[in-house]
Amino acid sequence: MTIYTGTGDRGKTSLFSGQRVSKANARIEALGNLDELNSTIGGLIAALSPKCPDLINEMLEIQSDLFSISALMATTPDSPSMDTIESITQVQIETLENAIDRMENELPELKCFVLPGGHITAAWSHLARTVCRRSERQLVRFLDTLFSEQVSERYQKALIYINRLSDYLFVVARYCNRILGVPEQYWKC
Amino acid sequence: MNTRAGIYSTTLLHRRRLSKRAIEIKLEKPRSFKFESGQRICLVHKAVERDYSIVSVSEDPDICLCIRLVRGGALSSELNTAPIGSRFSFTGPSGYFTFKPSLRPAVFVATGTGVAPFCSMLRSGATGITLLHGTKSPSELYYKSIFQSAAILYVPCLSEPGPSSEAYFQGRVTGYLQTHLAAGLYDFYLCGRREMIRDVTLLVDEKFSGSYIYSEIFY
Repeated sequence: MTIYTGTGDRGKTSLFSGQRVSKANARIEALGNLDELNSTIGGLIAALSPKCPDLINEMLEIQSDLFSISALMATTPDSPSMDTIESITQVQIETLENAIDRMENELPELKCFVLPGGHITAAWSHLARTVCRRSERQLVRFLDTLFSEQVSERYQKALIYINRLSDYLFVVARYCNRILGVPEQYWKC
Repeated sequence: MNTRAGIYSTTLLHRRRLSKRAIEIKLEKPRSFKFESGQRICLVHKAVERDYSIVSVSEDPDICLCIRLVRGGALSSELNTAPIGSRFSFTGPSGYFTFKPSLRPAVFVATGTGVAPFCSMLRSGATGITLLHGTKSPSELYYKSIFQSAAILYVPCLSEPGPSSEAYFQGRVTGYLQTHLAAGLYDFYLCGRREMIRDVTLLVDEKFSGSYIYSEIFY
């Protein structure tokens, strides 16, 4: 079955919760950024050697988590569809934090700014980090448009997750350079 | 909602002809299989997979499916000819096309076998429903008696002229919506041909802006 429906040909699209909105809507912009982030992580996974199965599995979980956050963003707070959305939990946030701690234990302490790049996997990870930061900025901009009572714990957890994911991707970049033997380059150090 | 797909083995229990272009089949329901009205299963047979919305409700003893017969279609042909007692596999349930009660009136719009999930939703208690069913001829108005008794308004929309003895709208579902449904806010549930879903969606944007749309493309 073909994927095109033609329902978006006039600049509108459907949310998961049923509303029709402009494709220029802040919610759709946030979804686009999350999609780009997920695809960039896909690029990183593709560049990683199959010899790093743990890292790959970790990132596949992250891609799945990003789909959950996207589903949340595609659903209006007071709609019945919200009941079907899986929220990001504290466990998922702690999984990222534990991964960061685990990799940092193997890395030298950072004393100055690191130039983004090095091994291709590190370059992908830095790119994913920057898209993640943009996703976070857009998510905050979107949440600023909601009434405070609409900003439920679901959104707050998603925001924490995205913030932590940026840190994770930064550490992954350094970790990839480390395990693949590419020296880090520093700025004016 | 139960969306965690399991893999099940089942038996073909019953088959009946609905029209020249559709059959209804009943499959044995595995004891552990649970679903919500509007969800679908994916039938698997000899590496061919096809999604079908469930006609029955969760409490029914079997799984009922309404199958559109596709010329040369690998699975629909098999289901149309397989001996009763044949074994099949399926995965599911899947999908989020379930009834979500709200303060807005709900309008169900189907073409052909796209009425399958609506049959399940109405039988499981969805109320206050207007249902439009677009088909070529009256012989394809599947589950008519259920809809006549459970919907507050049931409108067969026939693209070919029907018998004068029956009440129906002559034309497509979009024609009915354009000329008969008062402007306002509704929850539209669309199931069936992609062209219908596209046309109704664009019409909703124009005439019923602000309404909600839930859709399930069948074919």
